[in-house]
Amino acid sequence: MENNQAGNRKAKHTMEMLMMVIALTLVTVIAASLLGVTDMFTREPIRQAQRAMLHRSLEQVLPAHVNSPIDDKLVWDVAGKNMPVYLARDVQGRVTALAWEVVAPDGYSGSIRILIGISPSGGIHAIRITAHQETPGLGDGIVHNKPWLDFFVGKTLDNIHWAVKKDGGDFDQFTGATITPRAVVKAVRKGLEFFKINRQKLLKMAAHLDIQSKKGKLPS
Amino acid sequence: MNKTEILADGFWHNNTIFAQLLGMCPLLGVTTSAINGFWMGAATVLVLLGSNIVVSLIRGFIPKNVRIPAYIMVIAAFVTVVGMAMNAWMHDMYLILGLFIPLIVVNCAILGRAEAFASKNSVLDSATDALAVGLGFTFALMLLGSVREILGHGSIFGLSLFGEHYPDFLMFVLPPGAFIALGFIIAGVNIINRRRGRAAQSVAACRPAAHAVQE
Repeated sequence: MENNQAGNRKAKHTMEMLMMVIALTLVTVIAASLLGVTDMFTREPIRQAQRAMLHRSLEQVLPAHVNSPIDDKLVWDVAGKNMPVYLARDVQGRVTALAWEVVAPDGYSGSIRILIGISPSGGIHAIRITAHQETPGLGDGIVHNKPWLDFFVGKTLDNIHWAVKKDGGDFDQFTGATITPRAVVKAVRKGLEFFKINRQKLLKMAAHLDIQSKKGKLPS
Repeated sequence: MNKTEILADGFWHNNTIFAQLLGMCPLLGVTTSAINGFWMGAATVLVLLGSNIVVSLIRGFIPKNVRIPAYIMVIAAFVTVVGMAMNAWMHDMYLILGLFIPLIVVNCAILGRAEAFASKNSVLDSATDALAVGLGFTFALMLLGSVREILGHGSIFGLSLFGEHYPDFLMFVLPPGAFIALGFIIAGVNIINRRRGRAAQSVAACRPAAHAVQE
């Protein structure tokens, strides 16, 4: 009799455990399918939204051009990672500017991504912030503060001291926010140094790309 | 409870922000402008609607012991769906709200509604409750966002109010300003409630804030 009762209790317990496992499994499966379906519908729009965003930023950092920089790009290998370098060309197919993204890892909260547009001679055409998590109202001036962004225009590695004023340089910091502008200035300077070292090779690759694309177009 | 009561309760008497003081993280994080507050609220309404309806649907089927993980799973799924949709079709706003979208998962107000309401009520009542609570939350976010935007930037919904020479009160853009503005708003809400002779309901859910006003 007692044995029977214990057996019943055990069977009931097992049933309850089983129900929990089934319930949680079902909820998980349904949630996962919902996510899968959503991913199917949103993947392409997300890709397009990101592309539109990049296109907008490129138009802002590059001078007037006749090609489509978002597709006319060369791929630079940085420590095993492919970094796209976008090109602006004039009617003759000459490169009038190059643009690529640099990352400032030392922002106030996380890394800041900066798109740099630069002329073949090494002068900045314009810079834009493409992603950041800086404090609204303080550090995010790097996005909204037009005079501050415009200060970079025409600057080369040699015609200005690349540091914020607090560090003895020429770039303004913001009231209450020094770390953010400091990180951006440092990252842009590194970008310029990268260009100085690799300028010849980059321009050669760009010219080669143009010949190739013209060859490709010939039959059509 | 009839539908009107559910609506009034969710939107005002038991308002997530003014009465329960829940969901402070998105409240303080994204309400730097009225428009940010609005979209954060809209995203929360969608998640609440989804989670309340589903939780109500499965309320007879989920064993008591595992109901919280099940609810969290439901909420997390809806948050991810809303996040993906915003990323696809409202990319700019998605970038602004950023981290706060996934953080809707841990907005205890949503789990609170699942546990306290949807798990005990019909689907229709739960959907009504989600709408009421969600809109109440949105209203609070927009109100605080408006106050902070007006004081901090001299603008509302991006439209300049006082001309270019407005001295921006930076403090109201930063988190401390959010706390201060919220304190005054809650004080105001309590005054309104008392005037209307309905303070009793709000005091029960919001004792500390009510005391502060009484003192």
